[in-house]
Amino acid sequence: MIEIKQATKNFAGKAAVKDLNLTVPDGKIFGFLGPNGAGKSTTIKMMTGILPLDAGSISMNGVDISTDPMKAKHQFGYVPDRSDIFLRLKGMEYLNFIGDVFDVPPNVRKEKIEYLTKSFDIYEALNDQIHTYSHGMRQKIVVSGVLLHDPDVWILDEPLTGLDPKSSYTLKEMMREHAAKGKTVFFSTHVLEVVEQLCDEVAIINKGHVQFRGSMKEMKQQFQEDNNLEKLFLELTQNE
Amino acid sequence: MSNTWKLMKLMVKMQLSFAHRSTAEKTGYLILAVIMIPFGLLILTLLNELIAAMYAAFSPTGDEAVILGVLFVLMTVFYCFISIGTVLSSFYFAEDVESFVPLPFHPYQIAAGKAAVPFLSLYGVNAVILLPGLAFYGLHSGAGLLYYSSALLVWLLLPVLPFVLTAIAIMFMMRFVNISKNKDRSKVIAGLLGFGFVIGINVVIRLEGGSQNMYQLAAGQGDLLGLVTKFFPTAYISSSALAAPASIQGILFLVLMTALSAGGIALFFTIGQKLYFKGVLGLSGGKRNTFTEDTVEVYVKKKPLIYSLFRKEVLLILRTPTFFTQVFVQSLILPVLAIVLIIMEMDGPLGGAGPQLAEMNGKFVILASVGLSVVVFGSNPASISSISRDGKSWFNHLYLPIPPSKVIMSKMLTAYLLNAISLVILSAAALWVIKIPLSIWTAWFILSLLISWIASAAGVMVDLYSPKLDWTDEREVFKGRFIGIVPLAIEALVFGVILVIVWNINSLQGLWPVTGALLIIFLLLVFLMQTAMRKLTERRYHNLL
Ligand SMILES: Nc1ncnc2c1ncn2[C@@H]1O[C@H](COP(=O)(O)OP(=O)(O)O)[C@@H](O)[C@H]1O
Ligand SMILES: [Mg+2]
Repeated sequence: MIEIKQATKNFAGKAAVKDLNLTVPDGKIFGFLGPNGAGKSTTIKMMTGILPLDAGSISMNGVDISTDPMKAKHQFGYVPDRSDIFLRLKGMEYLNFIGDVFDVPPNVRKEKIEYLTKSFDIYEALNDQIHTYSHGMRQKIVVSGVLLHDPDVWILDEPLTGLDPKSSYTLKEMMREHAAKGKTVFFSTHVLEVVEQLCDEVAIINKGHVQFRGSMKEMKQQFQEDNNLEKLFLELTQNE
Repeated sequence: MSNTWKLMKLMVKMQLSFAHRSTAEKTGYLILAVIMIPFGLLILTLLNELIAAMYAAFSPTGDEAVILGVLFVLMTVFYCFISIGTVLSSFYFAEDVESFVPLPFHPYQIAAGKAAVPFLSLYGVNAVILLPGLAFYGLHSGAGLLYYSSALLVWLLLPVLPFVLTAIAIMFMMRFVNISKNKDRSKVIAGLLGFGFVIGINVVIRLEGGSQNMYQLAAGQGDLLGLVTKFFPTAYISSSALAAPASIQGILFLVLMTALSAGGIALFFTIGQKLYFKGVLGLSGGKRNTFTEDTVEVYVKKKPLIYSLFRKEVLLILRTPTFFTQVFVQSLILPVLAIVLIIMEMDGPLGGAGPQLAEMNGKFVILASVGLSVVVFGSNPASISSISRDGKSWFNHLYLPIPPSKVIMSKMLTAYLLNAISLVILSAAALWVIKIPLSIWTAWFILSLLISWIASAAGVMVDLYSPKLDWTDEREVFKGRFIGIVPLAIEALVFGVILVIVWNINSLQGLWPVTGALLIIFLLLVFLMQTAMRKLTERRYHNLL
């Protein structure tokens, strides 16, 4: 479970995210939908400890990210939107590094690395440096890293962008499985369609504010009733 | 031809434009320029004095052209050395190389465009040293207008052949390096090339010059100019042209120089047309390996986190060509150069000079060698690039549950490792070649270990305070940042004060008492640095983005 209370982040005096409140329950796939520049990545960076909060608080499974960052960071796995991970490491070295960071026992590592990278079709590339990977391959190695240490909470920033259909399908299946185990999946996207396919619940963010939060059915109703949301809906559907 | 011209102008504009530079960078350059003025004046005065002295020595035998010969030889070496780096990066490693290839230009045109900036930049050095040098020579020899006009032409032409030949050599080399189709490896080779060149030139000069000096030569030898410019025909031709600018012979030499330069340019175009693309195409970063089952076994071993982090840092330096050359090779260049020099001097005054140290004032010896260590270890490129090296991947340290202190410590250890390697190399030279007494070496070694730690910490802290993370090319980590000077300045001040104070405490005498006192002071400094580092990490670590 993720709890965000009154989270605020300013860049050069301008608020990128303002007084954001959100509770992400366990056992569900939670979509975080919004157009480019809405504040999705900024919110996620505050959740993961990359950006310090200007105000408010965020907790992962009850552990506050600002006051007990080490423990909080053990609760989640994060797939960044950018693929600038440690580019000079080989894929295998990266996964092994993650294994060391999260204290994954060697026999589990071996088994999982083989299984995961084979199902993502990057097994053959494990001995190459990551900077030679395509965006999609980098995405897959990070996802493999997350699955390797198997955290309760998954946080993914635009995870499907750049993935080929097969990998996209694999990842979606994995997200569903994780939620089905009663764990938390939180991901951002700017594509309405993805939310429709995948999510149990959704929050819509625009210009740093949450404009809607609820189930998929409620969202569709709201889109028809609320004028503002309808405009946003057009933005989210037309652009893709 | 007009296309070539346009392309050259475009490239010059793109590479030299100040438009996209930040104001901080611009002020940086301005400050640097202001700082350089007194240095420039100093160099000019020295140059003038040197030429005057040489003129007085050589003119009685009519050998004054040797001065020009020496000047031209030195400049030629300089051009070649500078061009190796600039040509390689402009021709092969620049980000934009591959974007020019699909455009409808001949290879020679792109090569010419790419050559423009490296070639023009030679005239920077030229304006600072050769131009005043030629003018001073003119003044001392009381030359007329003809000399100055010829000198101007020589000034313009002198860089042409060294540059062109270096570029051609590099194109040849890259043609073959490319067989491995590996941009990374060729970058490393390129980095080592400059390194090898420095040592090679040193060896050649020492072997050639031997122990005879110029003045002895002047007395005995007839064709002194020919001797000095033995391997540098353009230097010979240019000197001869300027030695007697009014004579037929002088004019012929000048014409010859012009013709050779024009020929060189033609050759460059011809070879560029044939070879340039062969080296460029297929330059792709990284290499592909196939992965087999048993490699998994090798990797999945549990290691302490600090070791994993440290390994990651070292791999980053070894695998990123720019970091490899700028950090690894650079921090070793000084000790290795020192050793080459020392070994060549084996039979000279330095070889086995160590035992004499034992007879000197122990206090003086240890203070002096500590001072030397501060200079050698003071500015460590690994430490001042600690955080900046990560660039856009820095944020990965933030969401992973890794204690900040461990990340910083892994960077400290990396910087320290490089210092330790030079320390060991220098120790080997000191013990085996100079034969320094074991007691002095022990004292120096222990103190140097601490100095290295303090220096590394200073560098890491400066970089942590204000790292450059948003680079797109690794060279930005080192270029146009004035950070390297900061730790060195602080250390010079701190250690300088300590050394002066210890030197003036008269009751403190002898090797071991002084070493003991320094040890305590340095340990205290280490402790202070660690505390400061902890505070700084708390304040800065999460606020760098
Ligand atoms: N480092 C930064 N500096 C200044 N402004 C930023 C920075 N990061 C994001 N912003 C601004 O904050 C807003 C939200 O950005 P972001 O969270 O990346 O949006 P998205 O929803 O597309 O992920 C945008 O207006 C963006 O310009
Ligand atoms: Mg985003």
